[in-house]
Amino acid sequence: MKKVIEVEHLTKKYKDFIAVSDLSFDVEEGEVLGLLGPNGSGKSTTINCLLSLLNYEDGIIKILGQVMSSTNYDVKKDIGVIFQDIAVFEELTVYENIDYFCGLYIEDKQLRKEYVIEAIKLVGLEDFQKFYPKQLSGGLLRRLNIACGIAHKPKIIFLDEPTVAVDPQSRENILAGILNLRKKGATILYTTHYMEEVEMICDRVIILDKGKIIASGSPLELKNLAKIEEKVTIEDISLKKTDLEKIKSLKNVEEVSYNKTTLIITYKKGQHNLPLLVEFLKKENLEYQRIFSERPTLNDVFLELTGKELRD
Amino acid sequence: MTVFKTFLKVLNKCKAPLILYTVILIFFGGFSLKTNEVNTSFNAYLPDVYINNLDENAKITENFMTYLKKVSNVVLLDEEDISDALFYRDINIAITIPEGFNRDFFLGRKPKLEIQCTGDYASSLVNIYIEKYMQVANTYRVLASSEEELLRLINGNLDLKTNVYLKTSLDTEAMSKATTYFNFTNYCILAGCIFGVCFSLFSFKQKNIDDRIRISKINYKKYLMQLFLSTFVFAFFLWLLYVLLGFVLVGKIMFTYHGLIYIVNLFLFTLCALSIAFFLNQVILNKDTINGIVNVIALGSSFLCGAFVPVQFLPDFVLKIARILPSYWFIHVNELTTSLEKINLITLKPIWQSMLVLSLFTCFFFLMSLYVKKRN
Repeated sequence: MKKVIEVEHLTKKYKDFIAVSDLSFDVEEGEVLGLLGPNGSGKSTTINCLLSLLNYEDGIIKILGQVMSSTNYDVKKDIGVIFQDIAVFEELTVYENIDYFCGLYIEDKQLRKEYVIEAIKLVGLEDFQKFYPKQLSGGLLRRLNIACGIAHKPKIIFLDEPTVAVDPQSRENILAGILNLRKKGATILYTTHYMEEVEMICDRVIILDKGKIIASGSPLELKNLAKIEEKVTIEDISLKKTDLEKIKSLKNVEEVSYNKTTLIITYKKGQHNLPLLVEFLKKENLEYQRIFSERPTLNDVFLELTGKELRD
Repeated sequence: MTVFKTFLKVLNKCKAPLILYTVILIFFGGFSLKTNEVNTSFNAYLPDVYINNLDENAKITENFMTYLKKVSNVVLLDEEDISDALFYRDINIAITIPEGFNRDFFLGRKPKLEIQCTGDYASSLVNIYIEKYMQVANTYRVLASSEEELLRLINGNLDLKTNVYLKTSLDTEAMSKATTYFNFTNYCILAGCIFGVCFSLFSFKQKNIDDRIRISKINYKKYLMQLFLSTFVFAFFLWLLYVLLGFVLVGKIMFTYHGLIYIVNLFLFTLCALSIAFFLNQVILNKDTINGIVNVIALGSSFLCGAFVPVQFLPDFVLKIARILPSYWFIHVNELTTSLEKINLITLKPIWQSMLVLSLFTCFFFLMSLYVKKRN
């Protein structure tokens, strides 16, 4: 596969603060790479460096095989960006906004019109073409923001936390739109601190913390890094100390925590943990309201690697 | 063209205030031009005079009374009503010619008239007439060989008229109108330029939008140049609009060299207003504050520099302060043009010097805006 983004030893400092430290990674054509990390981990700084919006101290950035610079218009024409904050004109309608940003790339009026209509369809804003941004809800505004960034059909799309402060329904729509772009062959660099989104749309994930890569791989590979295999939660259960001791001695149990009425059991690798536990509870006549099992998430991986939650 | 078209679309959203500024100009400017008309008709004013002659009917006394009747309106009253008539301004002055006035005059004793007056302008005027008559009479009294000759000489002198010819090529009424109009444009150009440019550029300078443009394939320097040209085109049309309005409201004076000076001066001031707008655009952080800033700057400088109130009515210290504002120099050129009799290098010197100051203000604000932009 052809590498469309190549980053080597990227370092960016703000005076004495190191925002990004010796970062190296690459993105292949058609791939969706997720940059995952908590706030302040260096995700947006990395994207701004990639786009030449920020100068950096050290490193090489190549996009489509060319060294990226603020004057490399040959590369810029194939890039689309969706920023974390809304970047649209309040004075222009939905159509006019998309048309303006598309017009920065596409000069042909007729072709531009086609592209704009296509972008409107992609984000589902057909009924709001003549609306002004102030008349749109937060979710629709985010969709407009995305349409403005992708209307010119870029080969590489940078999405910087596009679903921040968006209602679940709009979020679904946005993610569906991104998957649609992926289907059309776009290479996507996606930053977020929502692990569910990464798991849903990314082929590969880089976990950043304090400007450094702490783990990378496919979502499955990353989850395999976790020591725990399964987490079982039992709600509304009443236990004695002896019951807890018995549960701790069950096969594959790594850790048990009991908080008044909720019991959480984490298992190491192993199979049939949940049926065995249910059988044990029945045998011991322990009543409960609800029992469910969870596989480890990227948040658990991040927690194990850094000792803190992604959303801290 | 995309940038230019979008600039116009954004500008279109603030057309209401721009139209309002123009309406203000037409309404108040037109009203001011109407009230500022120079009145060329003249009605002679005759003060009301009461004369009480206690002297014998001598010729010099009669002649004096005849003269007073020519230059004033003699009112007949009862003697006891004089005080009331003066109080109620029915008469301006009451003159009593004392007994022996004629005799004392010929003896060279300089007889005194008894005068009661209101102290107003009309009574002062009558006093001047009396003084004038007595001076002439005293002068000829020595020279004249007879009483008849004396009266002839006095009347001959008092009847002398001087013809005054005012040689000027200036249509002062039209010039005054033009100056009033162009002084008014100070507010409209300043308010229009600052509001229009700041309102439109504020949208473009938002960080996220600016970032989106920076990463696009459009050359950023060319983009900035397109934005600059867009604002220049807007300012140019604003200038053109007010010049055309000037042709409509002021008339034929606009086709003279004086009109050309007004037009050039307005153009320089428009450029200055544009540079102020650029500077303000760099320092304004909130779009909602633009309106307030426009009012403070445009109205403030218009009042301080004499755009609304004639410069002659402004105190000296206000005008000294106003010198630090570009509006002062713009209005100063307009005022100088009003009294510009001949146009040559010498008479134009104070005008181009003021225009130079105005241009320096333009450069200053433009450089300041570049400095602040770079610093930001």
